[in-house]
Amino acid sequence: MSAQTVEKNPATATRPAGLGLAMRAEWVKLWTVRSTWWTVLALVVLGAGLTTVICWGNADWLANDQEESPGSFITWGMMIAQVCAVIVGTLAVTSEYGTGMIRTTLAAVPGRGRVFLAKTVVVCGVLFVTGTVTALLGYVGGNYFLDREGIGMALEGDVARSMYGSGLYLAALGLFAMAVGFLVRHTAAAISIVLATVFVIGNMVMLIPGDLGVWITKLMPGNAASSLVAPVSFNPDALGAWTGFGVLLAEVGVLCALAWWLLDRRDA
Amino acid sequence: MIRAQGLTKTYGDRTAVNGIDFTVEPGRVTGFLGPNGAGKSTTMRMILGLDAPTKGSVTVDGHRYAASPAPLRAVGALLEAHAIHPGRSARDHLRWMAASNGIPTTRVGEVLEQVGLDTVAGQRAGRFSLGMGQRLGIASALLGDPPVVILDEPVNGLDPEGIRWVRRLAQQLADEGRTVFVSSHLMSEMALMADHLIVIGRGTILADCSMQQFMADHAASYVRVRAPQSTDVEALLVGRGLEVDRVDDELRVQGLAAPAVGELVGSHGLLLHELTLVRSSLEDAFMALTADSVEYHAKAADEIKAGRR
Repeated sequence: MSAQTVEKNPATATRPAGLGLAMRAEWVKLWTVRSTWWTVLALVVLGAGLTTVICWGNADWLANDQEESPGSFITWGMMIAQVCAVIVGTLAVTSEYGTGMIRTTLAAVPGRGRVFLAKTVVVCGVLFVTGTVTALLGYVGGNYFLDREGIGMALEGDVARSMYGSGLYLAALGLFAMAVGFLVRHTAAAISIVLATVFVIGNMVMLIPGDLGVWITKLMPGNAASSLVAPVSFNPDALGAWTGFGVLLAEVGVLCALAWWLLDRRDA
Repeated sequence: MIRAQGLTKTYGDRTAVNGIDFTVEPGRVTGFLGPNGAGKSTTMRMILGLDAPTKGSVTVDGHRYAASPAPLRAVGALLEAHAIHPGRSARDHLRWMAASNGIPTTRVGEVLEQVGLDTVAGQRAGRFSLGMGQRLGIASALLGDPPVVILDEPVNGLDPEGIRWVRRLAQQLADEGRTVFVSSHLMSEMALMADHLIVIGRGTILADCSMQQFMADHAASYVRVRAPQSTDVEALLVGRGLEVDRVDDELRVQGLAAPAVGELVGSHGLLLHELTLVRSSLEDAFMALTADSVEYHAKAADEIKAGRR
């Protein structure tokens, strides 16, 4: 280790007071309720397991089909796993409102912005790591069956990107859920709103005729990043991987700004 | 020390707290007394920066609560309605609180022992009885060893032993020189716990004085006299300029202590059958003081019947 890395970074001295402490508190909070463990476990099992099962079931015909790419299937389970990410994100916020614990939280950390930042950094960090690991596990399982049919993929390029892309997508979706949680402050309402936006409205807008429908579909938060999470998207019209992720981040950013603003102003 | 100046909170067109001024001094237990809906909890939430005052300000040791870098070390608070996640254990609840303010984890064990929850620290808070939850809330108030302690309705749900424990604890914290601010809607509880009293009703301060002063001012007292020659006794007492009410066969004398009344009557060769100092309870005094400011009146059944007629 060089002397430089041991030296204290002067930048840490000017960071918002106590953000590190607030993050440690959020970390303890996140992992000391059972719902987190169950939901994260479900995320990994569903995400990796369904990818493996889908690849096992489809490898046979995919090997002889020119239309579909196995790249659309290697992260298939993440489509379901995203529900768990929404739940983790929502509960991290709304469980505090449901139990009245938000008052204890804001009494302990009166900087509302600091609470928002600490919670989002911790939860997004956990979702990014969990999402990436889950995608990798799914790749290992799914690719085993694809390999047997001679259509296995190397973990490089777009395939590698879809692994950490899945992590990034789940983190962004979790952030979306947290922002909605801070806005509506109610578990069932927040989960319904986010899932409806991603799954129901995201698909219904396809019915809008013409270019308008195509564009709205592309830009919906649940669809925008679909090229990021899979080496080859099922939707040929989808935005490019990083453009799409940028659109999703912009949408989530607007919601976060609104949530932050309201959190700062509302009585707890 | 807690200081409120012109503190006001309105919700829509309802004024919960109406321009109140008060100071909570260190070294004594200050009771914050008022009927339900009087504005006690709203005031306490404003002290903790949870609700923003509509007008005015409230400071703790000269600073806004939110300005403190580690507020749990400055002010410890037991909030109403536990404000605890039911799925988290008592120990974990205190652990995250300690982490948030850089309080050493060893304090968690200490306060758990202090409130008598050390044997159930691993249990989820949702399984706790009301009293245990209250103890956990008190533990979280003590966690940062703060110079200012705020307890909102601390005896709610506690058994008699627990109530005595809270009383002793509040007194002990005050003796250590801390500022102790305890709210309650029970006058009898305040009478036993507080040295100083702030009474609030409908968002305004009705009294702010020492407990003794409050008793002297508000708890009416008289001397009950029963005598066989009551007319003579009455004439004698009235003749001395005392205020005497006759209720049936008893005389209610105000303005002279019981022994002096006895001596006076005896010195005139009159007999006494009863001589008693009667104090109306503090509860009565509190009821009388807040009668106009009670938000939610319960009516007796016959009152309701009479109203329908």
